[in-house]
Amino acid sequence: MQSNNLLRTILGAYTGLFILFLYGPFIVMGILSFQAGPEGGPQFPIIEWSTYWYQHVFGLTPPSRVAPLPIGEALLRSLTLAFATMVVSTVLGTLTAQGFRRNFRGSGFVFYLVVLGMMVPGVLLGLGMALVADQVGIDRTWWGTAFVLHVVYTFPFAFLVMLAIFNRFDKSVEEAAWALGVPPGRTFRKVTFPMIFPGVLSAMLFAFTLSYDEFPRTLFTAGSDVTMPIAIYGTFAVEIHPNIFAFGVLTTLFSFALLSVYGVLMTLSVRRAKTAAVQEEIA
Amino acid sequence: MLELSRVTKAYAGIPAIDAVDLTIRDDEYLTLLGPSGSGKSTLLRLIAGLDMADSGRISLDGDDITFRPTHLRNLGFVQQSYGLFPHMNVFDNVAFGLRYREIDPVTDDSEVTRRVRSILDLVGLGDLGGRMVGQLSGGQKQRVSLARTLVTEPKVCLLDEPLGALDANLRERMTVELRKIRETLGVTFMHVTGNEAEALAMGDRMIVLDRGRLLQVSDPDSVFRAPRNVGVARFVNAYNILEGEVSDGSFRYRDLRFPAHGAPSGRASYAIRHDAAEIHTDTAPPESHASLPATFVASEFLGSRFFYFLRLPDGTIFDVERHLSREDPRRIEAGTACTVSWDPASALVFDAQGARLGDDTLKGAA
Repeated sequence: MQSNNLLRTILGAYTGLFILFLYGPFIVMGILSFQAGPEGGPQFPIIEWSTYWYQHVFGLTPPSRVAPLPIGEALLRSLTLAFATMVVSTVLGTLTAQGFRRNFRGSGFVFYLVVLGMMVPGVLLGLGMALVADQVGIDRTWWGTAFVLHVVYTFPFAFLVMLAIFNRFDKSVEEAAWALGVPPGRTFRKVTFPMIFPGVLSAMLFAFTLSYDEFPRTLFTAGSDVTMPIAIYGTFAVEIHPNIFAFGVLTTLFSFALLSVYGVLMTLSVRRAKTAAVQEEIA
Repeated sequence: MLELSRVTKAYAGIPAIDAVDLTIRDDEYLTLLGPSGSGKSTLLRLIAGLDMADSGRISLDGDDITFRPTHLRNLGFVQQSYGLFPHMNVFDNVAFGLRYREIDPVTDDSEVTRRVRSILDLVGLGDLGGRMVGQLSGGQKQRVSLARTLVTEPKVCLLDEPLGALDANLRERMTVELRKIRETLGVTFMHVTGNEAEALAMGDRMIVLDRGRLLQVSDPDSVFRAPRNVGVARFVNAYNILEGEVSDGSFRYRDLRFPAHGAPSGRASYAIRHDAAEIHTDTAPPESHASLPATFVASEFLGSRFFYFLRLPDGTIFDVERHLSREDPRRIEAGTACTVSWDPASALVFDAQGARLGDDTLKGAA
């Protein structure tokens, strides 16, 4: 009983610290984003509560000595890049995992080869890619060299998610479809894909979020048109104003919105079956 | 007509199916009995094209289908685990094959509806078409799985232990219904089972498989009454099998001798059917009977029949089955010393290789 209580205390303290470190920085940032502007800086105490820096992000404040954040185009680039990465990585990851359902020759080697993409340090990979691109004479762009590295980075995550999904997948369902005369391709579309769809959603979410805030690989390979994380980093070099915090709060809210959409889609795909059954019962 | 000739399949060098020759006729109910690990599921998967044979040939109505992919074979396959599509309702599950198959898909919606309705009525699920698969009981899933296959009108319908996951009550009902459904449609059923009663009761013909080889292919009555092999006698679970030796025209079991006319000398097995033996407690067995001393263990009442279990001196359990239509049940104290006897003419003798002696087919060969 005594040791049980002790264990409970330790675990409680650990959980508390975990949550503190997870949310502490974000909460501090959130509070400072409501600092008065334009004279208030990124530190306590709060001179006066205001939404000045939020207006500043959207360019709604009169011009002042603080330059507006150069993020409009960078944000659009980041979203486009994350979306493209998500599509390509999820498709590749699903197909590769489908391939791994059979134990082909050298499958173990290929597995490690694929997973290596997420093990290699990002800075080295980015630097290496930049060197190679310069050697070969390819321009470094966010939609070219950076995109390739984003796929290399996120594809293993999508692949691992799909591999776990296929591990639990009951093959007899596909065999039943083949025995009914339905060819394998159509069986994949009509039977396999709808059944693994929740897994595909998870893979998409992984790929999108990883690509969206990717920094080290993008730093060296995006060229002059930078993505959002690089653009924000660029503003640090001059002087930090609370407008970055305001922007941070906004992007976090955006991420939460994205997660909510994912949650809703998940629940819908799980619940669709139950609802239909209940309606049948009532009718 | 489906023909297998010398079909062989090995997994990691261990033969699962060993040079099997088999002809499956049109419009018949064929049961395949085998213990677990005998290769019965493998044989079914080879026929269905879910696994490919290492050698040999499978042909359907004269066409070689040995390497034809599953979806082009037009054979039905009903799995033990049902394999229903969980994201569809019963109607869409059954309609799936008709709508999406490669050969001759049915594109007319009203035709699909008509055929699905009629097959659902046939399996007794007429009013459950809109139900999701997750909302069905085991027996209903079994019927959906069957209906889904039958609606595509396969040449042969392969059933892998279709009653394995059902409780005893439902199993009995499905036994009757499966036969009825098959007769209505006139499609060939090949039903794989590990249950000897099921195999005997349902088949027009019956196959006994062990270690990848066919031991016997004949009507259930012959399998039951005249097993060609000691393995078959064991699997139908209706014989007491004694191991011993034949010399001078008699079978020697420990220090006892039973007549075995015409049997060649050597190691042999001697089989006495459960219902061919009698128990004697105070009376002597008839002159003409062979007999064994035994100790009474227990009895089991099975409605119209009684099972008596006795222990032979070497510890083997000896079963005696008596029908109440022929005699009243007997009360015997456990531990009572008694004698079991049987007409030696009813006993079967198998040689060292397991082949039955006096088998007509073998006599012809010798």
